[in-house]
Amino acid sequence: MLIEIERVKPKPIPQRIIDRSEIWGRKIKIETNSFNLISAQSGMGKSTLLHILFGLRHDYLGEVKIDGKHVRPKNWKDWEVFRRERISLLFQDLRLFAALSARENIELIPLNNPTAPSIDEMAKHLGMTEFLDRPMNNLSHGQRQRVALIRALRKPFELLLLDEPFSHLDKENQSRACSLVDEVTRSNKAGLIVSSLGGVPALAFKNTFAL
Amino acid sequence: MTSTYSKKTLNASLRVSGPRRELWIASLGCLLGSTLLLLALQLYLDAKKIIREIEGPGNYFTVNKKIEGGALANFGREEDAFSRDELREIQEFEGVRRIGTFTRNQFPITLYIWPSGKIGLGAAAKTDLFFESIPDEFLDFIPDDWLWEENSTTVPIMVPKFYLDLWNFGLAPSRVEYPSLSVEAASGMPIQIFVGENQEFTLNGRFVAFSKRINSVLVPTNFLKWANQKFGGQAAKGFFFLWKNGSIDGPPVSQVDLANLMNTAEDFHTWEVSPLKRPADRMPASNAVNTQEKESNSSRIILEIDENPSPSLLQLLEDRGYEINREFPEQDTLKQAIHGLFLGTAVIGGLLSLLSIASFSTSYQLVIARSAEQTRNLLLLGFSKTEISRVFVKSFVQLFFLILTISILLGYFFKSILSKQAHLISLELSGGFSYEALLFTLIYATGFVLVNKRVIENSVADLAK
Repeated sequence: MLIEIERVKPKPIPQRIIDRSEIWGRKIKIETNSFNLISAQSGMGKSTLLHILFGLRHDYLGEVKIDGKHVRPKNWKDWEVFRRERISLLFQDLRLFAALSARENIELIPLNNPTAPSIDEMAKHLGMTEFLDRPMNNLSHGQRQRVALIRALRKPFELLLLDEPFSHLDKENQSRACSLVDEVTRSNKAGLIVSSLGGVPALAFKNTFAL
Repeated sequence: MTSTYSKKTLNASLRVSGPRRELWIASLGCLLGSTLLLLALQLYLDAKKIIREIEGPGNYFTVNKKIEGGALANFGREEDAFSRDELREIQEFEGVRRIGTFTRNQFPITLYIWPSGKIGLGAAAKTDLFFESIPDEFLDFIPDDWLWEENSTTVPIMVPKFYLDLWNFGLAPSRVEYPSLSVEAASGMPIQIFVGENQEFTLNGRFVAFSKRINSVLVPTNFLKWANQKFGGQAAKGFFFLWKNGSIDGPPVSQVDLANLMNTAEDFHTWEVSPLKRPADRMPASNAVNTQEKESNSSRIILEIDENPSPSLLQLLEDRGYEINREFPEQDTLKQAIHGLFLGTAVIGGLLSLLSIASFSTSYQLVIARSAEQTRNLLLLGFSKTEISRVFVKSFVQLFFLILTISILLGYFFKSILSKQAHLISLELSGGFSYEALLFTLIYATGFVLVNKRVIENSVADLAK
């Protein structure tokens, strides 16, 4: 999925931040199947960028194109299809269902990614097997992050957006998570955009942008 | 690509399967409204059926032309009969199903009635009277003995039921020689009918029935036709002397006979006729047939109308100078009371139902608002608005049909209690609900579901914005 960001200036972001940014107000092209890192401190607009690409925010100047087409004219139905079949986003606030168990949360997606490993395989990879049937309330934030990551990887996608996905993981778990992301994204022949507070996850990024 | 999530998980994520306190109030309102509405409709249908059974198949009133002026002005006056054109016009008035004409005796009648029988101590009640006849289909019922043939010895007579009441509660208590009479006793009374100015002919008669609809003294149509021809004499209308080759040919002939002869007799065009009163006023026979076209010889008619007479029908009759007499209008009051009762119950039931639709809608908006975060999360995961709405709609439909079932059962229960009470006052209500009431329930339920479905879908769509 080819992403083109052309002189985008989100309205809530102050001009001084835009002036220093490598993305805001510039023409950026994110190649198909490429791995990209967006690195910045809090409040610079990392989530804003991912939300714009996910069709959640429209309060910006400039243009965004996906596969050469402007995204502004897309209606809710178009985005519904995109979210169901083409783009998967791991939200910073995870957006899990507190009333469900970890497994139920992972299962609750409209379509499955046929190339992704099974839930149990991914849970084993991330050391989550014994927590799968526990209610979300009994899990730590790090464990919840891994549940949300498995759910994001189980959806079909051509572009995977991860918003600070490893912020509550230790180095070992980060490493396991990175290898799983790398494996699934490559098997999907998909692109990847990861936002980070400054750390560089162990993934072979083609581009690194400082917001 | 397939999905593996279960509907149960989807429901659990939206937390719609558990009870909602706010739904209880809406459910109670819906239960009361639906039960009341269903009962009101069913009772209305039952009441309508009972009234129909009591009053017979239609609504009737009689119409005649107004008689104005004092007694002297009307003395010896010809009857003001309806013309054929006038009858045709009335037939076409809005709400008129059909009209029947009254035929009256054209000869004097005196009745002798022996309430206690001819043999014994009883005295005869003597009265000058009249007879009328109307087509049988306008009678509220046709008695078994309502038959007369030319050689019959007894003429069946039908009088209004209140004549008997007048006898029993008016005349009989004031005259020691007259006993009170039951319907059976009155039916057995010997009656002698004296016909003619000087009571030249005598016939036997019997009260065979007491009508609750027709306010007149009725005899079978064929008897009156025969009697008018036989005893009507000079007073009879519609009869003519028939002139052939300059002289009167045989007894007087009726207009009907003339009409038949016109079609069969080859030399009809040479014939002449003259009225019985003015034998010298000869005219071509065909003129007499045409005269018959214009006159019906009925000065009083009976109308069967769809329902209560509409204001426009009454106005039309008034404009043409007709006078109407409602036959036994007391049922109108009963009908109006039932209509009022039904309307009141239906309005309360309808308002409660509307209120419950509104409170159900509000409650479900609240349920969706409580699950707003979960709903948005599902939409962001790629679930469609339809899939999510369906979860709420399904939960609503399940609850609504549970309420509706309870409502029907409750209605059935109340109906059976009412049926028992009605039985005590000799009113038979049908058991359960009628086809019409159940059809109405189906339409009501469909409307209820559609309105709430729309509200739910709109609420979910609002979250997707």
